[in-house]
Parts: sequence; structure tokens; C-alpha cells
Amino acid sequence: MVFARAARTREQFDWPLFLAVVCIAIMGVVNLYSATSPYIDDPRRSGLADMYVQQVYWLVIGGLLGTLAAVVDYRTIERFAYVLYGIGVSSLVLVLLLASDIRGSSRWIELGRFAFQPSEFMKLFVVVAIARKLADDPRTEARTLLDMVPAAMLFVIPAVLVMAQPDFGTSMIYTACALTMLALARVRRSSLALGVIGVIPIAWGMWHFGLREYQKHRILSFLDPEADRTGTGWHALQSRTAIGNGGLWGEGFREGTQNQFGFLPDQFSDFPFSVFAEDWGFIGCMALLALYAFVCAWAINIASLAKDRFGAAVAVGIGATFFWHTVFNVGMTVGVLPVVGITLPLFSYGGSSTLTTLVGFGLLMNVSLRR
Amino acid sequence: MKLFVQRSDVGEFRRRYHFMVLGILVAFAVLTARLAQLQIAEAQNHRSQARRNIVGRVTLATTRGVIRDSQGRVLAANRPSYDIYVVPDVIDMKDTWPRAVQLMGLDAAKARDYRQRILDIRAKGGKRKLQQTLLEVDVNRDVVAALETHAAELPGIDVVPTPVRYYPYGQVGAHLLGYMREIDAEGLARYDGENYRAGDRMGAVGVERRWESYLRGQRGWQKVVRGQNRRAQRTGLGEQYLEEPRRLEPIPGRDISLTIDIELEKAIQREMRGQLAGAVVVVDVRTGRLLAALSKPGFDPNILSGEEGKEAIRDAFRRLSRDPLKPLLDKTTSAVYPPGSTYKPFSALAALADGLIDPNAEVDCMGGYEFGRRYFRCTGVHRKVNLHEAIVRSCNTYFYALGELIHIDQLAKVGMDFGFGAKTGIGINPEARGRMPTRAWYARRYKGDGFRGGFTLLAAIGQGATTVTVLQLALAYAALANDGTLYQPQLVRSIETSSGTTVQEFPPRVRSIIDVEPGQLALIKNALHGVVEDSEGTAYSESVGDVDVAGKTGTAQVSHVTPRSVDPKRVWYFNRDHAWFAGYAPANAPEIAIVVLIEHGGGGGKNAAPVAMRVVDAWQKLGKKRLAARGGESSRRDGAHL
Repeated sequence: MVFARAARTREQFDWPLFLAVVCIAIMGVVNLYSATSPYIDDPRRSGLADMYVQQVYWLVIGGLLGTLAAVVDYRTIERFAYVLYGIGVSSLVLVLLLASDIRGSSRWIELGRFAFQPSEFMKLFVVVAIARKLADDPRTEARTLLDMVPAAMLFVIPAVLVMAQPDFGTSMIYTACALTMLALARVRRSSLALGVIGVIPIAWGMWHFGLREYQKHRILSFLDPEADRTGTGWHALQSRTAIGNGGLWGEGFREGTQNQFGFLPDQFSDFPFSVFAEDWGFIGCMALLALYAFVCAWAINIASLAKDRFGAAVAVGIGATFFWHTVFNVGMTVGVLPVVGITLPLFSYGGSSTLTTLVGFGLLMNVSLRR
Repeated sequence: MKLFVQRSDVGEFRRRYHFMVLGILVAFAVLTARLAQLQIAEAQNHRSQARRNIVGRVTLATTRGVIRDSQGRVLAANRPSYDIYVVPDVIDMKDTWPRAVQLMGLDAAKARDYRQRILDIRAKGGKRKLQQTLLEVDVNRDVVAALETHAAELPGIDVVPTPVRYYPYGQVGAHLLGYMREIDAEGLARYDGENYRAGDRMGAVGVERRWESYLRGQRGWQKVVRGQNRRAQRTGLGEQYLEEPRRLEPIPGRDISLTIDIELEKAIQREMRGQLAGAVVVVDVRTGRLLAALSKPGFDPNILSGEEGKEAIRDAFRRLSRDPLKPLLDKTTSAVYPPGSTYKPFSALAALADGLIDPNAEVDCMGGYEFGRRYFRCTGVHRKVNLHEAIVRSCNTYFYALGELIHIDQLAKVGMDFGFGAKTGIGINPEARGRMPTRAWYARRYKGDGFRGGFTLLAAIGQGATTVTVLQLALAYAALANDGTLYQPQLVRSIETSSGTTVQEFPPRVRSIIDVEPGQLALIKNALHGVVEDSEGTAYSESVGDVDVAGKTGTAQVSHVTPRSVDPKRVWYFNRDHAWFAGYAPANAPEIAIVVLIEHGGGGGKNAAPVAMRVVDAWQKLGKKRLAARGGESSRRDGAHL
């Protein structure tokens, strides 16, 4: 029995997914090295230059956790979906109650030496919970908007909690991701139209009551970047300059001047893609985007082959998380979307986000193994 | 197992997958298109923007030319002033700035002020935030040392040594040399272009101003890679982006050698110690070269040039501009005075040239002269005097009689032949013309009729409407001394490059050869010698040592001031006569001409003549010392040959 399972695993091991993720992760570490290399000789900030080593640690830990997530049968996870979700929501509430204030927003929980961001892990819990909800509620006829409300509440609650931190980007990721998953369900045309119209008052309410001044400022400066060449607009401008400076073939590894001379802000968290694009040019970008696009499409493929609704929904959810992160992040660095703090999976430095991403791929592998 | 799998359940999702894949493709296609736009279509623009970000131009300072005297002694030079600059965009206001404030030792108010300035420039954006902005000027050595030691921890703070002007002799010759002043908005507009920037200093007054374009030199620049990346500094990353030419060498300003002798200048300063205000000019009668010129009271060009900071400059100007003795005025060229009796030789020459007087004919001086309904006073009762005695004893009555005979235009004509009433062309400082009154001038002045013969009488003794500058008088006496050559005064002898090569030499320039009868001139010169040599002479008792001077004293009446224009307690001073002495030495083989004016000094013979004598004495001693030095040198050289 054990041998049979092992053989089956080998047979069905998802090499394309594994290799694509490993490729992206390696490129991410290499790029992180380039991004922080200006600090190598700087006595005051040499700590930042070791960031890529730390990222490797996170990848190793993430790989172990991801393997764990791949090995446990996902039906076990399905069973505990709401429990996990509950833990996630509690920790978000906890963050709001006691997290210390870092740079104007409180996102962290400190445990001894480590500080982690519950909002990152919450992405997985939202995916699992919504998948559970969709799996529990099979229908043959189209649904009304009212039918969708319980599932929608599953993302609205954490989205509001995260918004309160305030973390507009993550809140947006929850929303985009959940909506993608909910799109799996068949909804009446009329309900859909109503939903679309309903977005308008919600957006108006968000603008006036939900967003803080600096967030509004970012969006406004995106709409009119020339109006603000010094503040937020300046970041976006320098990012575009860096990418354009890469040209077709790139400036070369660690040769991109925009990054090397400190014109890219947050180059290891929000703008690693600009560093990559400057170093490797259009050709490099194409290779990287192809990998990202492949992983996204492959997740849909896994979903289509999944043997049950939960597996399919989880696959779509993980794929959507990955997809929206990539599109929002690259979109903002190339200047087609406003600057919101959304990381580029496996390229941005960060423990919580790397672990979340790899555990997510573990789940995806899990579904792929058990089709 | 398969039995439990209800694949039909998954069917609800199935129809969405291809939409999702399509969505993925569209999203990535959009990103690809945008990347193609940035990295292929617009690549050139972004690349040049990226280059502009890192390539900067650093100004390379030039050094202002040195000013020397005729013996090669430095009169104006440069010393380094350490100025602190900040690059607003580079400096870290949270970490670096407090450290810099502490190292610079700024007080809280100043630190706040500067901080605000930096933030303002940052907020405004544009090019300025990437450029160096001046914070502190001429900080002391300790601060410089502290900042240099911690330079690595202070990105965005730069210490830049800039040369500032330094005048080793202080007040001596200040009006001739001038000083340096920060360029104002008007100056910037006038001298726009590369060479002047806000905060620059330019020559104000004197040689510094007149020869600014020579002294200044030309700034250079160098293209550099900007930014604080150590690796880039080590590996030269980014250097390949510096386009040629990468550097323009600065051109140092030209050095200027003057004709003046600072030792003589110092001697004059010393001899004028006891006087409140006045002017002295010494010129070489054989060349018209200015050997010394003093205007008193003076100012310290070091302070006006900013040696003690901007506050000190403001204070000094406030004090100087309020001083009733007008220290900022160059009294050798920019101010006019009635020449008084020092003008008598020229009146005599005018009368002799027209054959109006017989030098041997005598006039009986009873202490005054009656003309029309007025009585013109003399300085004393001289009884019978001929021309010689009239000059030696300075008898006004003789010249009143002469004035009755002569036409005023003839007086003016001869005066103008000697350079009065026109600018001498020295080139520095605003020059006054003085006035040689003519009938035409009086007609203009008094609207047609109103000319009276009395005007000519006054003009003959150098009073009335006649005014001259000290420099004009010195040059006119030089022309008497050299038998009729009127020189253009010369202050700059040559221009050299900073390495010492002479670029241009200025030979003496003759303004005109005066048409004067040698015999008549000899009469006058003889009389001028008599003023000092003859026991009757007005300056007889004042001669010192072995000086051999010929000259004329003068006591010029001033137009009375009212207590309104000056401090009432000082009215008595401002109503006193000006004391003059004008002459040349040695009397028989003249080399220098000298004019001493002591403002409100009283009688010329008593007050101005002694100063002139001692200055001539000092000049003689300097000449002997120099001769001895040169002689000793040549004999040593000879000895070596033997």
C-alpha cells in the first residue's frame, strides 16, 4: 500500500509546477542579491546586503512547510478549513488589538525573535474557506446574488480587518482572489449585472470612508503622475525609468544604474521587478513573465483535472493569489496600475510572504498529486 | 475509490476555466505590451533620464589674480575659506543632519533655519535639490577637521575650500585696490552667463572693480558620477556614461602689477596720522605713474570683503556711510575742491602767455584790492611785489590785479591745457571733472547776464567757481616740473599670468604737450622753489632734512555749511579752510610731484606743507635704501666674478 502510493506519487509528481517554481525562486534570490548589492560596501547598511541569504533560509523553511502541505491529504485540510479560517480571523483581530505600530500601520505579531504577518497567512485560509464553502454548496441551477452572500462574507470580514491596519494592498488581494474563486460558481445574469452596478456605491463609500489620505494620494498621483514628481509619483517615475533603462538586453547583472545609485525605493520589497527589468532587459522580463504566466495557467490546469470541487476551488484560489500578486506588482512597477504595496511572489523579500507562497504551492501540488 | 468521486460536481466550474486562462493571457499580454513600450519604443528616453540621474557637474574653482605693487609686494591675495554645502536630495535629515549640526557646532536657531531651507528646496523639487546649496561660510579649522574626519558618515555634506580675498596691508591703499562684494541681482542680470552665480563675489571699487575681468579667471567643471554607492566608486561603475569632454580646467585670473609703492603709501599714512581727513597723491613726473595715493579716512577692505562674516560687512557699511568724513569716497579722484593759491602758477602762466603782465612790474599790496564796489582781501600787507614775490609770499592782491587784466576764458584755457576741468583717465573709481569756469559757463549758470569781473579775480586765486581734483593738481604740477608734458595717470604697470609671464605692459601715455614758453615756465619754477627756499616763502620754515622741494601752499576757503547738514557741534570744523600743498622734488631735477590736501586743515603753509616735506623725505630715504640694496647686490655679484 505504502509502495503503491509512493509509486503513484512519483508518477504524478508535478514536475512542471515544481521546476517553474524553483526557477522563479532562484531568479528571485539572484535578483535580491543584485537589488541589495549597493549596500555591500556601505558600513551603515551592510546588514541589508545579506538579505538574499535570509531569503534562502525562508525558502528552505517554506519548502519544508510546503512539502508538509503537499503530503497531508487535502481532504483533511478541507475538514479543518473553517477552524483554520477562524484562527486566521482571530489573529487579525489580535493584530489590531496589540500589534506595535510600525511605520504608521500595524501588521505584525511578534513572537520572541520573530515577527510575522497574519494577513499573509490569512490569504491561504480565505482560499481554503471559500473552497470549502463552494464545495459544500453544489448547485445545478444558476445562483442569485443572495446565494453568494455567505461565501462573500468569508472574504469581506478579513478584508475589512486588514483594511483597518491599514493595508489596502492585501485587502485588495483578498477581494480579487475571492471574486475569482466565486466566479467559478454559476450566477444569474441579472444578479451579476446588479452586482456590477452595486460596486459603484461601494467604491464611493470606500473612497470617502475607507481610504486614508496617503492612499488616496497614491491613487491620485497614479492618475496624474506629472502633478507630483517628488513624492509618490517620483517612485513610480524612477521605476519606469529603471525598466526603460534596461532596454532590450538589459544593463547587465548588478549594472543597472537606477538601482545601483539608489533611485529605486523599496527595491527589495515593492520594486524588485524594476531591478530585474533594468539588469536583464526586455528579454529577461519576457522569460520571467512567461514563467509567472505558466504557473498561473498551470494552476487552472490542475484545477480542471482535480477530482472534486474543493480541490478545484483550492487550485483556482492559489493560482488567483499568485496571479493577482504578480499582475498588481508588475502593473504598478511598469506604471499601468497605482502604487500599492503588493509584493511580487518569490521576488520580494519577506518571511511571511515567502512561506505563504510556498505553502500555497504545496497545496497546489497536493491537489495535483491526488487527481 | 473512483466511485466516490463525483466529477459531475466539478462540472459547474468547468466552463469557467477557459475564461480564466484567457484572462491570464490578456493580463500578461498587457504587461508585455507595456514592457515593450518602455524597454523598446521609449528605451532611449528612459536611458537618457537614467544617465541624467547619475551624471553631475562639479564646479572647479578658479583663483583670483594677485595684485602687486611696483616692487612685487603682494597687495591683494587669496586665502582659503572653508564653506559648507549641502545637497538637499542626498542628505538624510533623520540620521545625518543632527550629526552634521553637532559637528558644525550650530546653535538651535540656525540649525532650524537651515533645516527649513533644505526642506523647502526638497519640497520645491527640480534641479536645485540635486545641487550643492551653501550653508556656512568660512568655518574655522576645527569644524573643517571634524567634518573631514567624519566625511564617510555625512553623505550630502560637503566642505569646499574657496579662496577669499586677503589684503595684507589692510587700510593702506584701500581706495586704490578696492574690495570684494557679493554680486547682487542687478549684477547677476548684467553679467549673466557661465561665469557669475548667486553668492559670487566681484570686485567693487578701485583696481578690483576696473580689472575684474582680468583678475577673475574662468571657472572649470568636471563631470562626475553622483550618488553614494561605494562599490561604484571602487569599480568605476557609471564612469563609462560620462560623455566627453569630461573636464574643463579652470583658468586662474591674471595677476596685476601696479605702479604704486606700498612703502611710500605706508609712509604717507604715517605722516597723515594726525589729520582727520584729506588726500595725498604722488606721481612720477617723468611717466605720469602714480606712486602713491591716499584718501583719508579709509576703510578696511578685509572686513568689507567678508573676512569677519556678513554681519560685519553690514555693520561696517552702516558705519562708513554715516560718517560725515566720507570714508568711502576716493578724495583723490572722486571729489573736487577749490585749489586756492596752488592755482596761482597757472594764472600767472595764462597772463604771461597773453603778454598781459611784465614779471618785473610791481603791484603795491595794501592788504586788499578794490574792484567795483567790492573789496577783495589779501592774506596780509605785502607792499611792493613783483610776480616772483607774489608767488613766494602768496600775495592775492597781485593776482587780483592780474585778474582784472585777463579774460576769464584765457584763464580757463591755460587751466585746461594743464588738464583741469577734464577727467584724467586713471580708469578707477568714478572720476570728477572739476570746473574751469568760462563766460559761457557763467552764462549758463546765471541765465544770460550776470557775469561780473569779480569772478575773474576770484578765479585767478583759485577760488570762486574753480574746482579741481587732487589727482589733476598733481599731474598739472608734474607738467610744470617736466617742462610741459601732461601725462595720463598710470596705475597698472603690467598684467601677468599666474605663472609670471607678462601678458601686457603699459608704457607711459602722454596726454598732451603743453604749449608754454620755456622762459616763462622757468620764472614760475624759480618762484615755486622760492616758496620753500626763500626766507620770505610761505613754506620756508617747514622744510625738513635735506629735501629739495619746489611748490606752492594754498589755503582754500570753503563754502559755509549750515548746522542743518552736519552735527552742530562740528560746524566749526567744516567751516575751516582746506590746507593745500602742491609741488615737486627734487626742485632742480624733478622726479616726483606731490599734492597734499588736508580737509579743513587751516593754513596750507602751516599744515599741509610739513606733511608734504616729510613724505618727500620718506620717498628720498626709500630711494636711497633701494639704491643701497641694489648696489650691494651688484657689488656682491662683482665679488663673485673676482
